[in-house]
Amino acid sequence: MNLLQKRHVLQSFERAKATKARKHRDTLPTWCPGCGHFTPLQALYEAMEQQHIDSKDFVLVSGIGCSGRFPFFIKGFGLHALHGRAVPIATGVKLANPELEVVIVGGDGDGVGIGGGHFPHAARSNFDLTYLLLDNAIYGLTKGQTSPTSPMGMVSATSPYGNISKPLNASTMALTYGATFVARVFSQDRDECTRLIGEAMKHKGFSLVHVLSPCIEFHKTVTYESVQSEVAKLPSDYEPTDRVQALVLSESQDPIYTGLFLKEEGPTYHDRVNEIVKKFEEPVREEAIVV
Amino acid sequence: MRKQHATVRFCGIAGDGIVTSGKVFSGAAADMGLDVLVNDNFSAEIRGLGKSTTDIRVSPTRVRSMGDGIDALVAMSVGESIPEIKDIKSDGFVIFDCENTPEAREEHGLPEHIPDNLGSFAVPLKRLSNENARSTIARNIVSMGALSYLLGLPPDIFTELIERKLSKKGDKVVQRNIDAFLAGRSYCDEHYGPHTTLDTPEDSEAKKLITGNQAVAQGALDCGLKFFAGYPITPATTIMEIVARELPKLGGWMLQAEDEIAALGAVVGASFAGKRAMTSTAGPGLALMSEMINMAVMSEIPIVIANVQRGGPSTGLPTKVEQGDLNIAMYGGSGDSPRVVMAPTNAEECYSGIQFAFDIAERFQTPVIFLSDLFLGQRTEVDRIERKIERDRSTRVSPSEEELGNYNRFTDTDTGISPWVIPGEPGALYSVTGLEHSETGNPNFDAQVHLRMQEKRYRKFETLQKELPKPQIIGDEDAEIGLSCWGSVRGAVIEAMEIAREEGVKSKLIVSMMINPQREEDFRAFFDSCSEVIIPEMNHSGQYAALMKSRYGIRPHEMHFPGVTPVSPRKIADKIKEVQNELATETSRLAIV
Repeated sequence: MNLLQKRHVLQSFERAKATKARKHRDTLPTWCPGCGHFTPLQALYEAMEQQHIDSKDFVLVSGIGCSGRFPFFIKGFGLHALHGRAVPIATGVKLANPELEVVIVGGDGDGVGIGGGHFPHAARSNFDLTYLLLDNAIYGLTKGQTSPTSPMGMVSATSPYGNISKPLNASTMALTYGATFVARVFSQDRDECTRLIGEAMKHKGFSLVHVLSPCIEFHKTVTYESVQSEVAKLPSDYEPTDRVQALVLSESQDPIYTGLFLKEEGPTYHDRVNEIVKKFEEPVREEAIVV
Repeated sequence: MRKQHATVRFCGIAGDGIVTSGKVFSGAAADMGLDVLVNDNFSAEIRGLGKSTTDIRVSPTRVRSMGDGIDALVAMSVGESIPEIKDIKSDGFVIFDCENTPEAREEHGLPEHIPDNLGSFAVPLKRLSNENARSTIARNIVSMGALSYLLGLPPDIFTELIERKLSKKGDKVVQRNIDAFLAGRSYCDEHYGPHTTLDTPEDSEAKKLITGNQAVAQGALDCGLKFFAGYPITPATTIMEIVARELPKLGGWMLQAEDEIAALGAVVGASFAGKRAMTSTAGPGLALMSEMINMAVMSEIPIVIANVQRGGPSTGLPTKVEQGDLNIAMYGGSGDSPRVVMAPTNAEECYSGIQFAFDIAERFQTPVIFLSDLFLGQRTEVDRIERKIERDRSTRVSPSEEELGNYNRFTDTDTGISPWVIPGEPGALYSVTGLEHSETGNPNFDAQVHLRMQEKRYRKFETLQKELPKPQIIGDEDAEIGLSCWGSVRGAVIEAMEIAREEGVKSKLIVSMMINPQREEDFRAFFDSCSEVIIPEMNHSGQYAALMKSRYGIRPHEMHFPGVTPVSPRKIADKIKEVQNELATETSRLAIV
């Protein structure tokens, strides 16, 4: 990390600690100073303020991992759930009370490893949920093992001879699964991160924000410097409307594009539920429900 | 010959219309005012000539179990039916297909297996079906005609039922089926004459029928179910299917999840948001749900799981009954993980019990596992349910103004129940977690906090225990022999006690829908009043007996039925007599000394 970058992450940490966090939560974040997760946390604070989301109507559901502690750093309702199961739990919260703003936070192991079976179904159903997938390409909370998004060749305690499986690409997965809002950001780019997380929360339907959030403590190869040298903003004339074009760009490795890949408007799962429930709005006689 | 009650069995292969036959016969019997119990027994394959049987037991008095043996066998196919002949009582009979006339019967292959004492009725099922319904598909209806005639049952109720059931298919289909039915009757009249006269009740008010799974769904819909998430699994799927159809009419929704973990996850989410939510599953699904149940224990989120037990372990016997999931329901989870376990014993308890399960779950913020079983869930019985419809029902403990002023999600109280604010309500914000936490809900790994919160979570169960209804005690109070059982075995046990009583041995039974927690003083007092205790159940290892032994320190006589078919009352009756005999010898030996 060069001096400028170091100053940047320390600033974001201090800022989160001193201002927003105090305002938004009594508990201070427990992450390592310089952790990539501070930026999306701040972005959530900003989005809640900008969109005037009442704390009592805000529910944050998280999985297990470093990112799992998000709910405790935010003023709102939180559910720190099981490893990999934040997505279905958030689905239940949203379907039970569509008035609530429901955001999911989880890591790469949580989302595309243990919880990989839930992600496609939330995306294809288009539940109105915002999913922040904080990808550090490592298991941080268990002290640095290989994850499903770790690059090939990565040496860790669980792959001492180098990782021999290909990494998964969460943005590409969301695009193939049918998510209606897919964006990728680098956590160092605070403004872009704030803008896209805000957009994702405003979007009606399943939104994925794939946050490249380096682990400064354990990752030797995926670092601020390495990510910085690999990423590039999507071309300025790019229109996020074509899923196939989005897939081509999200698959690109050189550069790794960041920005909004796709945004599609359309009915959410709950809109479709309402279509059906509306048919029965005539007062149903109590006795009519005989099974 | 007159008979008070009878059991008939239709036996054949997939495509013979066995389940339909069961529905028609049980429907007609219920229309006559008879009490009915139907048990379908089919293979796990949809096609491939799987064997299928359906037993219908009818009586003017209450039918509690499938009993022992059958009175009539309708053999729709040969190979599958031969092994069933041994179940026929000495005064019973068999109806089977023949090519043309009774003289042609020897070609058939089945009659040589029928003992001489049994009635043996060859009826040209295929031919009569072809002649009357222009297809062999109505051969089960022809056999129904023969059966109704041989049992001395009047034809009109059957023909009315056929008309009602088939009216949607048009007059032609109705007429053909009625013709096929009557052809079966007149063939028997012409060639044989009646065999048995089955008593019909004087109070011939028609009875409605229901299955245990229907009762669970109905009960949940009637007490405020708002959200259901599930994954298809035999034999629980019908609950999910009914809810999928009916819940949108009440403004709720059924989500078909990608697996059982997601299903229970969505239920946890919906409950967290304050709605009455449930899932239904069977053993393999319950195994997948263990971790989520544990999280609900830790984060005190109410959930209701209707688990319809089937044979295990593993994928096991998907279409056969067993009471094998008590251990996983009680103990399936990491750490000390208390949960409520209930087991209904009949359709009425499926209905009232699931409502009670919701009340407990919501008030005590705990998982409730509702252990039905395949026999109870799928069997058809007379609907004795008293509907209790309260679609906005809630037992949630909300905080007072004062409590809200200094709100903690997990406030330690005398009852162990913490007042509960749900997301969207003003005045309190909190996060819950599967990690150990302090009263605020924030993670905390201090030993004192862990001790305090464990005590609080267990205290809820002490509070609940005091609020439970008394267990049922049935039979002769002064009997030396006591029984205890759980779930659908209850019917067979009560019938066995009646048989034993007629044969001179008195006994008594303690049974409760509540397995955990239980009103322990009542159980202890009951066991203290018995010289010997018998515990019959449908599994190999005696899971309920093990629980009773560890909880009450008793040493029961255990009866382990292997499941697959419902329990035999005769065997339990014999055990009651055997234990009484041992007691008698014991006492006299003591007297000699």
